[in-house]
Amino acid sequence: MALSWLTTLAQTTAEPWTDSELKPTQELADQINDSGKKKPLIINVGPQAVIPGSLDAGPGSEKDNIKKLEKILSTQDKNREVVIYCGCCPFAKCPNVRPAFKAVKEQGFTQARLLNIPKNIKTDWIDKNYPVQ
Amino acid sequence: MRNIKLFIGFASLLFFLNQERSLAQKPIEVGDLAPEIVLPTPGGKMVSLSSMKGNLVLVDFWASWCAPCVQEQPELKKLYAKYHHPSQTGVNLDIYAVSLDSKKDAWERAIKKLDLPWTQVSDLKFWTSPVAKTYQLEGIPFNVLVDQKGYIIALNLHGEQLDQFLSKRVGK
Repeated sequence: MALSWLTTLAQTTAEPWTDSELKPTQELADQINDSGKKKPLIINVGPQAVIPGSLDAGPGSEKDNIKKLEKILSTQDKNREVVIYCGCCPFAKCPNVRPAFKAVKEQGFTQARLLNIPKNIKTDWIDKNYPVQ
Repeated sequence: MRNIKLFIGFASLLFFLNQERSLAQKPIEVGDLAPEIVLPTPGGKMVSLSSMKGNLVLVDFWASWCAPCVQEQPELKKLYAKYHHPSQTGVNLDIYAVSLDSKKDAWERAIKKLDLPWTQVSDLKFWTSPVAKTYQLEGIPFNVLVDQKGYIIALNLHGEQLDQFLSKRVGK
């Protein structure tokens, strides 16, 4: 029991995001599809922007792209919802989401979200017929 | 007569639905004819998978942004050196690498840096590439081994397993 709790704690503390900061794909797709809904700022931090309306900072593993991301964020309201996504591969293997999410948090955004793409953008977004640009 | 017509209509509907289902859901399997791929090389030349018939072809799905894929390339180079002997008689290994890159410069830089001698193709469409759908890719690295006649003989073998499989097939 204690071991299980420690494992969970280790897993939780290892990531820069919490479970509640993971944005469900369906929720974002609904926001994009419903013209009446408030739109978050969507930023690609992976190899290719796929989601309509998303800005392209480029892979978060590269320092220059983190600077690009910070520049995009610098003009935004800190209370606006910011959703970053990569989708190259499962989170465990992704080199992009961690530095990018940390950068969003460090800029003081109160609604920083990471799009919950457990596998990749094809399986978890494109194959579900969510909007693609 | 009306019953016969109804029966034929119902049977046709069942047949049609079954066909639709099988077309939509049939997974890529060993024994299938490998679906054709025709994509451009970095130089813009269109190269088809079928043009490599006569060789044992490893279709390697990779990308410069995929760390495990890049890590695997030196291993593939060793296997290529071991089994790629086009001038000799017997089975020859060739590699048809399909990249899911989206940025041409990144793709070209990776090929150059890794010094990959085999055929490289890409439509630079990342995960939106139709090939990813055709081959039902769930993640990369992923590979398909195709025999001399174009039939799939193995799926997603890596490392020692791939080497062992090739050593049995090459030289047959």
